[in-house]
Amino acid sequence: MRDRVRTTLSRPVLRLLTLTGAVGAALLAFLLPESLLAQETIQIPMYGEEFPIIGSRVAIWVAAEVHLLFAAFVLGVPMFAVVAEFIGIRGGEARYDALAKEFTRLLLVAYSATAIWGGILVFGLVTLYPGVWSYLAVIFAPSMWVYVGLFFFESFTLYLYYYGWERWKTGRAKWGHFGLGILLNIWGTIVMFIANSWLTYMMSPPAEVGPDTSPTMVKFWSAFANATWMPINIHRIIANVVFGGAIVGAYAAHRFLTAKTDEERAHYDWMGYVGNLVAIGALIILPFAGYYLGREIYEFNQQMGITMMGGFMSWLWIIQAFLIGVLFLAGNYYLWVGMGRIPGAERYIPYTKYMLVVLVLGVMVWATPHTMIASRAELDAMGGQYHPFLGPLGVMGAKNTAVNLMILTTFLSFLLYRRGNKKITNPHASDIVKVQFGMFAIATVVVLAYGIYGYFPSVTAIVRIGFSVYQVLAVLITIVVVTALDTWLLKGADSYGEIRWGHMPPRSQYALFILAVTFTWLMGLMGFARSGIRQHWHIFEVMRDTSPGAATPALGYAATVISACVLIFFALVAFIFWLGNLADTSTTAKAEPAVIPSEGARGAAGGADLSPAAGDRT
Amino acid sequence: MSDPSGGGSNVMVNVKIVGIVIGTLGLYTWVANAIPQVESQVPQELTFTGEVTTGELVAAGEDLFLGAGGCTACHGLGERAPNLRTGDQSGSTIGVRCAARVQGEDCKTYLYNSMTNPNSYVVEGWDPIMPDMRVLLSETQIWALVAYLQDQGGEVTVTGTDIEATGGGEDTGAAASAPAGGAPAQTVAAAGGDDPLALLQNNQCLLCHMLDGEGMQIGPSFDGIGARRDADYIRESILDPAADADPAFQAFVGLMPLTFGSTFSASQLEVIVQYLADRQ
Repeated sequence: MRDRVRTTLSRPVLRLLTLTGAVGAALLAFLLPESLLAQETIQIPMYGEEFPIIGSRVAIWVAAEVHLLFAAFVLGVPMFAVVAEFIGIRGGEARYDALAKEFTRLLLVAYSATAIWGGILVFGLVTLYPGVWSYLAVIFAPSMWVYVGLFFFESFTLYLYYYGWERWKTGRAKWGHFGLGILLNIWGTIVMFIANSWLTYMMSPPAEVGPDTSPTMVKFWSAFANATWMPINIHRIIANVVFGGAIVGAYAAHRFLTAKTDEERAHYDWMGYVGNLVAIGALIILPFAGYYLGREIYEFNQQMGITMMGGFMSWLWIIQAFLIGVLFLAGNYYLWVGMGRIPGAERYIPYTKYMLVVLVLGVMVWATPHTMIASRAELDAMGGQYHPFLGPLGVMGAKNTAVNLMILTTFLSFLLYRRGNKKITNPHASDIVKVQFGMFAIATVVVLAYGIYGYFPSVTAIVRIGFSVYQVLAVLITIVVVTALDTWLLKGADSYGEIRWGHMPPRSQYALFILAVTFTWLMGLMGFARSGIRQHWHIFEVMRDTSPGAATPALGYAATVISACVLIFFALVAFIFWLGNLADTSTTAKAEPAVIPSEGARGAAGGADLSPAAGDRT
Repeated sequence: MSDPSGGGSNVMVNVKIVGIVIGTLGLYTWVANAIPQVESQVPQELTFTGEVTTGELVAAGEDLFLGAGGCTACHGLGERAPNLRTGDQSGSTIGVRCAARVQGEDCKTYLYNSMTNPNSYVVEGWDPIMPDMRVLLSETQIWALVAYLQDQGGEVTVTGTDIEATGGGEDTGAAASAPAGGAPAQTVAAAGGDDPLALLQNNQCLLCHMLDGEGMQIGPSFDGIGARRDADYIRESILDPAADADPAFQAFVGLMPLTFGSTFSASQLEVIVQYLADRQ
């Protein structure tokens, strides 16, 4: 019975479907027997034939994930491409403009790959899950047309943006070109928001929609702006920036490692630094978007939240902690190694070992499981499901404390890196540094105090969860205020010498690759979590999954599929980068010899030194 | 300076990069496979008839409780919901304490009602987080769970007759006959077809709302409600009781189940809304 489930759609619905789901419906019509088409109504099979060897579920999984990885890249990179272009315009520094163009060049082929994998996904859904697709097409038909239209505009805006770069390079035309970059981001963001509505509807359909509700009765806007739509939108915008930065970093690392000249090496060292800065900078705020998403999931359905955090997926968060630990360690390691190319930064290097201790301890706490899955004998030996010593570290209070301290430490790392070659001349330096130190101390005390207070028996769970807000606020306020003070502090500072861009050991570049792979794998893991919490429902508590792949697999199986997806993605990205090199007329070869960036350019970049300088290259 | 990176040929660089990528992926895959592997299973269809034995029911219930039913996510630790297999403050397991939970309800009735109308049976001190299990499981599966829970220290009184009486039995599992995801249990939950009065009675609305002088005044009376409120308000109140609750009944708003959005079909909901809106 299960594999012969049928959905019956009336003729008006079919007309709507034909009008709106053009690709899907046309293919379905092609596939269905004529005898069925001739009937008053058409019976659309819930499922198509099982996909050979790997099965339908894995086929769709791979198509969706690889599509999403490319999509994240082409949505994330334009964001910081326009920022780099803006810095170039404002500061008059040509290298930022060249960097922005090089970012954009990476997008061209990636766009094609995104569209190809999007096509694979749609055809996969139409042929393997026609019932699910038909249901969604009936509800979301208008948005699917808008999506296609915007994708068209987005693609051609990108072509104009890239190919018009040299033509509209100066004067008012340059601002017009910059406007194209903004427009590219607007189209891309709307496209993502539309697609997000489809997938979030599957997670959190409106309360008024039940198993017996016909899709024609579902109100469009109610389905579109469902409970988890906006949290996913926000989370994905930030995650795309993180991901784009990481992939750009890996690209730059490869170009650095294969560079033939000092100029080239300096350029790609700088580009890798910028990519890493973007990735780690956005990563720091990503957990807060994650909290918001998690809270909305609990608000929507407690059971779903419990499944995610305390049910069969609870150990997924241990893997996530391990991965984020790698990200923090690799990101900080890159900064610490990078101090080697900054004259004057050696005075800060002794502090790195203490920061390493904080990071390692933080990772250990974060990766401590709360509930142990154990045999009865093991449970008896432990005296319960919690480990007698480690159990208390496995609760969210301890984990929140650990991750907030790790964020503070990473921020401190960046601060020291940034100050590396600065000889401070500000007359208020002593007071500013005292205030900065005080801010760090207060934030640390707040984070630790709330973390410890959460263990008091009088503190209920709901109050304890609320403590994380104060911890996060303390850290965020510290980051903002200390950064502002630092900008003031370093204004007019003398230099111990220019940054020797290009003077980085190869191991630092391999760290950028580890970062890129880890970010990508983490996206796959979180995608599995988001999708998996629906369990055996195509649309949560509305449309049951009765296919052979209805059970949600264990983490080991999921990890294997995720790794395969990441491998496919990186193989294709390598091919794209290779194509980019083929067409490369060398950005750096054309550019003038590397020069020290102007102070104005530094200021516009938020104070961070984002430019290569070859002043004292040996 | 010619080559501070110290790198060799591009081929060697590429080989190292491939090694790092594959090594990193291998490490993560290995770690994920090294931890405990838990799969979220689909509840198995049960094809019990009136001849089913107590042992079969208890065994099926145990499988559901510990596995696909997802019960232990909340009832396993005693943090989110009472731990049913170990003692509560009174020291008794659920099979022992169930008969004394609600006056006038025997153990079997209490357990069944707790699963099908959980918000009316929230144990003091716990939050109303339990879903109506008919959305997730078939009647047969629910009865198997009742049998298993009775077996935790008590006497199992569930029989095949109970299953048949509630429309369970062969091939009636929620997963078995779900159309595009439809759980047939919904038709049981929203029994009454399109008759608004039957829907109100069968879904115990009149336990808290008065209609034609009958029922209780825990929630706003249905008599004359159409003169006080419009259809949109009534619909919203059914789907989301706390959204704009009548201040006079604010204290009791938590008693109103949150599950009517999934209990009623869209047409049933509209029938009820129109029926109430017409009561001027």
